[in-house]
Amino acid sequence: MADNYSELSFNEAKDLLRQWRENNERKSDEVLRVWSVIFEHGVKKLGNEKHLVLEQVFYAALDCHYYTVASYCSLMLQEEFPGSFRVARHVAALHEAQENYEEALNTLNNIIRLDETNAAARKRVVAILKAQGQIQAAIKELVDYLKKFMSDVEAWQELSELYLQVQEYARAAFCAEELLLHQPHNHLAHQRLADIRYTMGGVENMELAKLYYCKALKLNPENMRALLGLFLTTNNLLTHYKSSGNSGKRKEAWRLCQWAQAATARQTRARPEPNAAPLANAMLQLAITD
Amino acid sequence: MGDVSLETKAYAKIILHAAKYRHCAVNGVLLADASKIRDGAKNQDLDIIDTIPLFHHSHYVSPMAEIALTQIETAAQAENRVIAGYYAGCENFKDNTVEACPGQKIAEKIVEYFPSAVFIVIDNKKFVQHLDTPAIKLYKYSDGKWKQRDINMKTLFHDPDVLKTVSYLLQWGVEKDLIDFDNYLDDITQDWTNRGIEKVLAMSTKHTNKLDAKD
Repeated sequence: MADNYSELSFNEAKDLLRQWRENNERKSDEVLRVWSVIFEHGVKKLGNEKHLVLEQVFYAALDCHYYTVASYCSLMLQEEFPGSFRVARHVAALHEAQENYEEALNTLNNIIRLDETNAAARKRVVAILKAQGQIQAAIKELVDYLKKFMSDVEAWQELSELYLQVQEYARAAFCAEELLLHQPHNHLAHQRLADIRYTMGGVENMELAKLYYCKALKLNPENMRALLGLFLTTNNLLTHYKSSGNSGKRKEAWRLCQWAQAATARQTRARPEPNAAPLANAMLQLAITD
Repeated sequence: MGDVSLETKAYAKIILHAAKYRHCAVNGVLLADASKIRDGAKNQDLDIIDTIPLFHHSHYVSPMAEIALTQIETAAQAENRVIAGYYAGCENFKDNTVEACPGQKIAEKIVEYFPSAVFIVIDNKKFVQHLDTPAIKLYKYSDGKWKQRDINMKTLFHDPDVLKTVSYLLQWGVEKDLIDFDNYLDDITQDWTNRGIEKVLAMSTKHTNKLDAKD
């Protein structure tokens, strides 16, 4: 193994887990290996972090299919917080991981019945439908959820992705626009919407894609996806305007296209990359020479 | 006729890509040696010598796929290789058919240019750290549909120890060093041809041989 977690001291292990928890890192394998260090010293020594660590290890264990570890954490937490919804969600998650979807849904529906505002439980229901491959049902459930919790950014993003999966691009674009309203300064939100518009195709969508790519680049000039996307979009528009004879718009697209090409070249020069030659060649091949 | 075989590094990259993003759908393209390909022949033996891992998110939008495929094509041409197939693994653990895979459009496009192309689906259920089966399914295009082909274990791999070698890589956590096209777009200093993995592979092949000698 490259990383030797078994040599960590107790405090180091504790700090490491906290760091991963705070950064929201999905290092389930590593969490479990660090957990074995902590377990040797005794869980009690964790002090007031004990419950957070148990929850973290619980989800990591589910991720790696270590159901005995997961059950242990879940039982420890249940003993201390018998009436907690958060702990009840763990029980549902354990069922879900073992594919007892019916029992998981029962537990979740119980939580929702007792606490209508429990957003996490409602979202889990969507996740279960998705795991069963019922994408349409998952979409329906998520739409219902968003009627009640319309400021949930992650839910809009998930709905956008689900719509993309079933090729309902117009609806996916709507969700992406909603995301944009919530995070107007997030360059990735602009780029994502532009990606969808480009995929939809057609002159109007290309014009929109162009705008959103430009905005993404204004917010973050180093967004490679937006840069290359802008290059593709303007190229596409150029062929269109060539035949329709709209010289004003054609000129603008041409200038943007040139700019995108130059900016890409600048990026590749600033940071030496192993694949510069194929990228430059690919762009040459795609580019429309005038 | 029409057997498909995989070089160790081609197979290793597919498996490592799926292992790095085990919670996501993944896809990529397969490359073959152009000098060994007969033009237009539909049912010829196919030797996959390399793979390029593509994406692990945004599978359903097209701009970056266009960039990636053009870039790979030019790079492949320079080395006298052709894009000869496509691989994908599903996000859902239970899905392991072509229909559930992302990017079928890409695969169909590949078939248009290369009629004897192969579609490899990663078989999630057989995917374990100690591989005892290849954990992949092979499909070939015929009559407008992808039809599953039986895997001939005798001809699939050139090196009989492939499964052992790749299992070692998984146990060492080598998948963390694999670079797909999404990683490259996040940071263009990353190398999507994965020459680093090839070096590790050469080393671990030696290692496997040494262990065998000890036994």
